[in-house]
Amino acid sequence: MTAALGFAGRNAGRLAVAGLLLTILVFPVISDNRYYQTIIILSLLLAIMASGWNIISGFAGYVSLGQTVFLGIGAYTTAILSLRVFGPDEFGQGGANPFYFIPVSAIVAGLFAAAVGPIIMRTRGHSFVILTIAFLFVMQLIVLNWTDLTYGNRGLSLPLPDWPREWGNLPFYYIFFGILLLSVAMSWWIRRTKFGMGLIAIREDEDKAASVGVNTPIYKVLAYIASAVWIGAAGGVYAYYLSFIDPRTMFDIVYSVFVVLAVLLGGRGTIWGPVIGAFILEPLNQVTNNDFDRWFGEGIWDANVRLIFFGALLMMVILFLPRGIIPSVQDIFRKRRESKMAAEVGARFERKPLTVVERGALEAREAPAGPLLEIRGVEKRFGGVRAVDGVTLAVERGSITALIGPNGSGKTTLFNLIDGTMSSDKGEIWFEGERVDGLAPYRRAHLGIGRTFQITRLFRQMTVLENVVAPLSSFSWRHLGADAVSGPEAERAHELLGFVGMHKFASHRAGALSFGQGKLVELAQILMLDPTLIMLDEPAGGINPTLIAHMEEMIRELNRQGTTFLIVEHNMPLVLGLCDPVCVLARGQTICTGTPDRVQADPAVLDAYLGEDFVLEQKAEVSS
Amino acid sequence: MTQLIQTLVLGLLLGGVYALLASGLTLIFGVMDVINVAQGALIILAAFITWALWNETGLDPLFGVFVTTPLMFLVGLLIYMTTIRWIQGKPPSTSVILTFGLALVIEGVMGMVWTATLHRATPDYFNQSFTIGDIYLRKSQVYGCAIAIGVLVILYVMLKVTWLGRAIRAVSANMSSAKLVGVDPTTVAALTFAIGVATTGAGGSIAAVLYPFLPGSHYAWISRILGIIVLGGMGSLPGAVIGALLLGVAETMTATYISPQWATMVPWAVIMLVLLLRPQGLMGQKLREDVAL
Repeated sequence: MTAALGFAGRNAGRLAVAGLLLTILVFPVISDNRYYQTIIILSLLLAIMASGWNIISGFAGYVSLGQTVFLGIGAYTTAILSLRVFGPDEFGQGGANPFYFIPVSAIVAGLFAAAVGPIIMRTRGHSFVILTIAFLFVMQLIVLNWTDLTYGNRGLSLPLPDWPREWGNLPFYYIFFGILLLSVAMSWWIRRTKFGMGLIAIREDEDKAASVGVNTPIYKVLAYIASAVWIGAAGGVYAYYLSFIDPRTMFDIVYSVFVVLAVLLGGRGTIWGPVIGAFILEPLNQVTNNDFDRWFGEGIWDANVRLIFFGALLMMVILFLPRGIIPSVQDIFRKRRESKMAAEVGARFERKPLTVVERGALEAREAPAGPLLEIRGVEKRFGGVRAVDGVTLAVERGSITALIGPNGSGKTTLFNLIDGTMSSDKGEIWFEGERVDGLAPYRRAHLGIGRTFQITRLFRQMTVLENVVAPLSSFSWRHLGADAVSGPEAERAHELLGFVGMHKFASHRAGALSFGQGKLVELAQILMLDPTLIMLDEPAGGINPTLIAHMEEMIRELNRQGTTFLIVEHNMPLVLGLCDPVCVLARGQTICTGTPDRVQADPAVLDAYLGEDFVLEQKAEVSS
Repeated sequence: MTQLIQTLVLGLLLGGVYALLASGLTLIFGVMDVINVAQGALIILAAFITWALWNETGLDPLFGVFVTTPLMFLVGLLIYMTTIRWIQGKPPSTSVILTFGLALVIEGVMGMVWTATLHRATPDYFNQSFTIGDIYLRKSQVYGCAIAIGVLVILYVMLKVTWLGRAIRAVSANMSSAKLVGVDPTTVAALTFAIGVATTGAGGSIAAVLYPFLPGSHYAWISRILGIIVLGGMGSLPGAVIGALLLGVAETMTATYISPQWATMVPWAVIMLVLLLRPQGLMGQKLREDVAL
């Protein structure tokens, strides 16, 4: 009995979904109640909308408040095709079969997303939300004012479908059901592929995702298209279902918000959350609309009460249930599971050796002559501040080069310019004989530049293993559909985690790690790129001495295997013992480059950074 | 020629009122990083209150400013304490969705109280005009613009001179540093939000005379003031003024020379173009963001 209850508890979500689907499938067979049929049809439509919205806003984190635009586009595509191109007469009294036009509606919606996506997805946060609203209103106004094509405010009437009368709305019912299943299947597939993992990475930290090789522009636009097509298809069916469409109901901002509410209620970023949310919300909407009058007297539930009710519900969900039903329920079970794993958190570090991976393509090609990385006269200004003011620097192949200098001297900004997080105002950056300063960050990652951040940046909602598997050392369309965590890559990730001593934490959430542990995982993460150049931003900052020793050991070992390092660090004993050459930056310029001994003796360096008494302190340490 | 000047003057007069209406939105965004989508609904709420006062007591709608401003200040304080306060620091979309919900609630309440029909406060002078040469200036627009400028000047001086103003600007520039020097960000945020909403009081009273309105009009207003602050640079008060004047002129020009139907498109078109081509707007500053990481 308890076992059965436990099973039910663990799989409550799955059981609920299976029950829901089965009920929808057989409902028309066991009951011919038209009222409930209508409720299910509208719930299915909302679920399709919610499931689509979830891809762009739940997975990729780009919140759209204008998702109904694709419903409108789909509906108008079907309506205009059916009336304008074929003409109402052609179908005569029999009317038209709506299903010819569904694929066209889906394609047109997808094309709109493909055209608009690359433009509006260059912005983030507030700007993106506002742009999606603007897109919706602009489309509404175009449809409203382009009266030759759309009859504007008067709307379009569609012919009745040509199936037997006694079928009623059943074909609509099952076609919506089919579209929903396709939409959910696609969400499920996306979530378990590299594409889906890339989207989650973008949601968690987009710049970081780009720096580990995720082709963020393509991922985002594909997600936008994926979120539009099924809604477009549903729009085509919806037009025939209503048999009359007009711009205000088809491009309705309130319905957009209703979609958002459905997903937030069910659980953003989950597969079934949007569906469950829709099947709670739409029946609630219909019942309150139609039955309250009957129960409590006429006029109780008018348009105003409806606005107040759903507006307030939206606010309540944001304030009190921000993560939605499914994640909140899952959390309860996860907490129980994780309490068992807690024992391992205090485990000691145990490093394992690393096998050298053949850099097939790179090895085969003759390495170009000259330094691995060359920076020529690079500048970066922020308003009036010249953070990097004409830096020239070369990193020799196979070296461990240090970049030191006082705070604010431009070290991290230089890193950002090299890996492409920021673009430089002037100068050139060459890597492996190729000019890279115009390339997107993910392209530079593909070429073999890996970098860690001063304050570790991991994808906090992902597990440690997923974090290490997420980097992509190249882009290919086929890759997008590959399993997110697959055999050889997972093996390599485990090996890398072993190398940094974090293999016992593979299934922990990255957000739960300590600062030092995070640094190790981030190192393993960029090793997944098989980088030729690793840039470490303060690898020893804020971690304990034992870990610093580990870090030094690992850097030496990787360097022996052929990896070049560029390291920003304030820990002078570590820098002077590990690195050669050392390059000193001050006020955005390189003031000295040379061996550790030479740099320590340079008066300009002592003046700008180390301080006059640096040598004395060193001597004092030796004598004590 | 006369028509051009007439259109320009009308655009500028409207722009002055728009500037006041947009100032609250930009102030709230600058300090709290919150886009208050309910600002449009609050404008209509103030307009309805003004209309009701005028209708019941005969109080001149433009004098309604003195009632609606403190009233809306309190409404703002209430909204902050019950909702906005709890979502500070959440992703930007959260505040947009939350305040959208609030806008729907306010729209519903207004529909219940005043029904969804067109209203307009029409005091004696609303149909009268000043005439300068061939140019007609509606008295209501002239008075409205004058009051709007007056309130804006008071707001500007307050931000520049008082301790609260300095605190608001400090929090707007850098929240954590402001905390270090003894500014309590919650208090400042609450007062900023309340002041931002209070501007809808004055603005709504003026709007009640200028345009007919119904509960659903808030979409037109939010699009307008959002377009203004995006154009001017989000968070910048001088930017809002310039953006408002430009948008006022653009709207009247479109209505006169193209068609009134396309005038509603202007704010949305402005929003799209500015966000895509110059996201920081005309007066917004582009600051480095990497240091905070």
